[in-house]
Amino acid sequence: MTLLEARSEADALEQLHALGLTDGLPVVIPTPERVAMMALATGLDPDLELGVMGPAHGVASVEKVATAAVMAGCLPDHIPVVVAAVRAVCQPEFDLTEMQSTTHCTAPLIVVCGPARHQCGEVASGFGALGPGHRANATIGRALRLAMMNIGGARPGVSDMALHGHPGKFTYCLAEDTENSPFPPLHTTYGYAEDDSAAIVVGAEAPHSTLFTGDADNPESASHLLNVIAAVMANPGSNNAHLRHGAITVIMNPDHTKVLARAGLTREDIQAELAARATNTAATLAHVGSVFHVDREGPPDELFPILKDPSRIVVFQAGGKGLYTMVMPSWCAGPHQNPVVHAEIDLDQACEVPWAEALGLGQSDSSDTLGVGQSETADVAGGAA
Amino acid sequence: MRDSITTARQGIPSIALVTDAFWPQGDFVAAATGMPAVPRVRLPHPVAGSGEEAMTRVANDIAPQIIAILTGATSN
Repeated sequence: MTLLEARSEADALEQLHALGLTDGLPVVIPTPERVAMMALATGLDPDLELGVMGPAHGVASVEKVATAAVMAGCLPDHIPVVVAAVRAVCQPEFDLTEMQSTTHCTAPLIVVCGPARHQCGEVASGFGALGPGHRANATIGRALRLAMMNIGGARPGVSDMALHGHPGKFTYCLAEDTENSPFPPLHTTYGYAEDDSAAIVVGAEAPHSTLFTGDADNPESASHLLNVIAAVMANPGSNNAHLRHGAITVIMNPDHTKVLARAGLTREDIQAELAARATNTAATLAHVGSVFHVDREGPPDELFPILKDPSRIVVFQAGGKGLYTMVMPSWCAGPHQNPVVHAEIDLDQACEVPWAEALGLGQSDSSDTLGVGQSETADVAGGAA
Repeated sequence: MRDSITTARQGIPSIALVTDAFWPQGDFVAAATGMPAVPRVRLPHPVAGSGEEAMTRVANDIAPQIIAILTGATSN
């Protein structure tokens, strides 16, 4: 870590913007005191390496990740989720370097599961969980993004080559609505105990809204709902339709999960049904000129499923009650083809810290020189080294 | 870029073919991986989907550059 100096918080903010160390929005100034306090809240050694973040190959130490969390506006309560999310995306099979560099708009979606939803937040899982107004959701996802930028070195048009990006690249985090869900907690499908907490992370496009009005008197309701979700999953413009790998996230509102649960479907049943129904015909792929469709000699009605592995459909409940389910297609590329990754949220290590004091709340503004934490990798990423 | 760097690290002469739009990213990756001078040849952007005639023209343009770098006639 190196230190910048500034005469005021406003001056420090302008420096960080000028150095390309922000996401374009104002950040909380990562003074050494705040970073030290945030690192202390993890209960981990500040020098502990959580992983390496490409494409800059920056080492994600606890201290550097704490810096990103401070800048993002996290509370110390949030930091265990940020640490878990960083650990998850640093797993080699996530292909972070390639993901950060691709022209596709993919962004890591963090799904918070288990008791951490309440202890590290509240991380919202209900109305507007993917939208504005939820501090934990907003800042946890933003902390991961700032870590990916300032430790991993992702800069738009230089090392992050996403043609357009999407708003989820600012922040993309929500919790599972476990209490009201008819399914077992999502993290238990990845081997965790129900009382554990975990961050499930999957590279995802922006949410695609999927309308289903339902009819409790119609015995075909469950099938119709599966059909419309599958149709959005199989959107012939998505990477999934062409590359036919990757993962797809399906976030169902409580009314929609009720329709499927009433039909006796488990999460595994739903995954299997969606994988079987989300297909395109050879004629459709030819119609959209898919260069990845190599079996053009076959019959035009031959079906091509968009996923080979139903377990790569991440199905869980969140959002308010109503008509919409959200479907997030994915990038599907990279050496490991966009798998789902996860890491335990370790709540045992976390400790309380005097955060208000670190922020200087209740104190008058000081004209003393501020020290601003800046990682060495950020220097490289900003072209200063 | 990373394929080229990996190959170069194994002692095998290699040249990365990088399109205009990705030239800054090439510089970034080369610097980040500790091989800022790994040989590169610049291509117009895009190459993919530009048609056989354009591809042939690009190949004819860059082949002499590739040979020149591999034979040591020029550095980049």
